[in-house]
Amino acid sequence: MFNWFKKHRKEKSSYETNEEWVEALKPPVDERAVALLRQKLIRGLKPALHKYVDRELDQFVEDVAQDALLKVLDNIDSFRGDSKLLTWAMKIAVREGLTELRLKRYDDISIEDLKPDDDSREVFSLSMASSETSPDRSLHESKLVDKVMTIINEELTDKQKQAINALMIQRLPGPVVVKQMDTNRNALYKLVHDARLKIKNKLELEGIDPDEMLDQL
Amino acid sequence: MELTPDILKKLIKSAQMAADHEIGCNECFDELHEFAEMELAGKSPEEAKPLIKDHLDKCSSCREEYQALLEALRTIESDN
Ligand SMILES: [Zn+2]
Repeated sequence: MFNWFKKHRKEKSSYETNEEWVEALKPPVDERAVALLRQKLIRGLKPALHKYVDRELDQFVEDVAQDALLKVLDNIDSFRGDSKLLTWAMKIAVREGLTELRLKRYDDISIEDLKPDDDSREVFSLSMASSETSPDRSLHESKLVDKVMTIINEELTDKQKQAINALMIQRLPGPVVVKQMDTNRNALYKLVHDARLKIKNKLELEGIDPDEMLDQL
Repeated sequence: MELTPDILKKLIKSAQMAADHEIGCNECFDELHEFAEMELAGKSPEEAKPLIKDHLDKCSSCREEYQALLEALRTIESDN
C-alpha cells in the first residue's frame, strides 16, 4: 500500500517548481519528468535551430535533446536554482545543438588544411614590408600601419599573433581557428583579449589616440 | 597577405574596446540562463550583468547561442 502510494505520488504529470523538477530528475529518475523535459526541449530547439539545419531537422533535434538530457541528468546537482530549471536545461540543449552544427559545418576541413603556413608567424613583418611599397597607400597611412605592426611584433606572443592573423586577417571562423590552434573557445577568447589589451595599453603608453588613428585611416 | 586599412581599423577598434576585465565564454555560459530569463522578463540584464552583456557584444559564438536560446524560450513560453 505504501509503495503503491509512493509510486503514484512520484509519477506526476506536471512539474511546477524547481524543487519538483530537481526531485524528479535526481536518481531514482522519474521517467515522466524526463519525457516531459525531452518534449519541451524538442519544442524549443526546433525554431531555435531550424535556420542552421537544411534537412532532417526533426531527427537532428531529437538527437540533440537526447544528448542534452543526459548532460542535464549528469549535472542536476550543479543546478543552482537561479532560473527556472527549464531555462537552464534549454541553455544546455542549445549549446549542444550549435556545437554539433559547428562541428558538422567544418567537418570537411581537415586538420592538414588548417595547419598554418611556416611563415604565418612572420605575416606581420611581411605585411609591413609590403605596405611600404604599396603605391596606392599614402605615406601617412603606411606609418600608421608600421606603428601597429611594430607593436604587434614586439608585444604579442607567437600564439597571439597566430590567433589575430587567423581571425582578423585571414578571417577564418572562430571554430576553425579553435581547431587549427588545438585549443578551446574560452582559451582562444582569453588569448585574443590579452592581445587586444596589450595593443591598447601600448598605444596609450606611446600617447597615440586610437580615435585619431581611426580618423586618419 | 596584406594588412589593408579595413583590417587595421578592425584591429584598432577591437584593441580600443578591450576592457581590463573581460570574462571568457565559460563564465558567460555559466550565467547565460539567468541573463536570458531577465531579458524575457524585461528586467534589463545588461545593467545587472554588464560583463555578460560585454561578452555577448564581443563574442559571436556566444551571441549566436544566446539568440537561439531566447528563441527557444519564447517558443515554450508561448505554449503556456
Ligand atoms: Zn564567448
